[in-house]
Amino acid sequence: MASLLKAATSSLRSTFLQARSIATSPPLLIKEIHEKLENNVLVYEGVNVVSPRAEKMLKPACTSKFCPECTLGLDIKHTDVLILSQYVRSDGCMLPRRITGLCHRQQKKMGALVTMAQKAGLMPNLNPSWSKNDPKKRFGWRKFNKYFIESTIKY
Amino acid sequence: MSIAKRVQQWATFARTWHIYDCTWQNPFESAQLVKTHLMGLHKPIYHPMNDCGDHVVVINTKEIALPGDEWVKRVYFHHTGYPGGASWTLAWQLHEKDPTMVMKKAVYNSMRGNLQRRYTMQRLHLFADDQVPEEILTNVTNQIRTPRTVPQRLDHIDKETLENFPAIVDYPKDYVLR
Repeated sequence: MASLLKAATSSLRSTFLQARSIATSPPLLIKEIHEKLENNVLVYEGVNVVSPRAEKMLKPACTSKFCPECTLGLDIKHTDVLILSQYVRSDGCMLPRRITGLCHRQQKKMGALVTMAQKAGLMPNLNPSWSKNDPKKRFGWRKFNKYFIESTIKY
Repeated sequence: MSIAKRVQQWATFARTWHIYDCTWQNPFESAQLVKTHLMGLHKPIYHPMNDCGDHVVVINTKEIALPGDEWVKRVYFHHTGYPGGASWTLAWQLHEKDPTMVMKKAVYNSMRGNLQRRYTMQRLHLFADDQVPEEILTNVTNQIRTPRTVPQRLDHIDKETLENFPAIVDYPKDYVLR
């Protein structure tokens, strides 16, 4: 019954949406948004770029599912900022799982490690625009050095 | 006594000066190390009644690191002796007032409370930063190895290392960079 319904709706959808064959952009390319001010007109332009990480990808990491711990057996600490910084955006927020390609457990663990690194002030350049960027200028007790113990991560 | 034996005797009982860099070190882990050298526990000739302790110069005490939220969980108690004279100071407030005090108290509390403790503490030289007087620094002949490695900040890593570091996650094809 369900498959029948599905077939019916899909055929309906195909007949209705037949006309929409216009693609708004060339599909599947990495883009960078440029902001330009020309004659008092602010122009936002999506420019196709090559991924900055394309040529330095590690060979086993080129598969869609790659966890540093499950696949390579790496023990990642919160001080390994060169690895952790690859999983965050330029404002320091964690990339979602459909982009990182980690398994559920590793995604949670990596998120916790990123939080630890940020709290310890090890990635001060990957921060929101309003950030002071210097861990020594934080308020109260947060301005002093702190480190974290990875075994306290529950998952 | 032969000359060689005399030199050995002199070298055994001479007070050595050690230096210890506190940058990103847990003061309570460090206290165990510093205590060992202050009391002379690392020497084969150690005996409680044998005054064989060394001097330890501890630098960069304002750069010590505590695990997690211990800066707000650790409390230092003081009582003036008068009624209502009790006060509780958080570790970060004490560290803000005197950047050498947390380290000093850690070393002091790591030792047993006997008559020797005050004299042993006189051999400890604490400095908040790396500005050590020349006459102290000239005595130093040994550096104590630190248990924790100093973590490197991402913005202090040089550009070449950043560019050559292998990537383990690539952006998907329809990603918008930001």
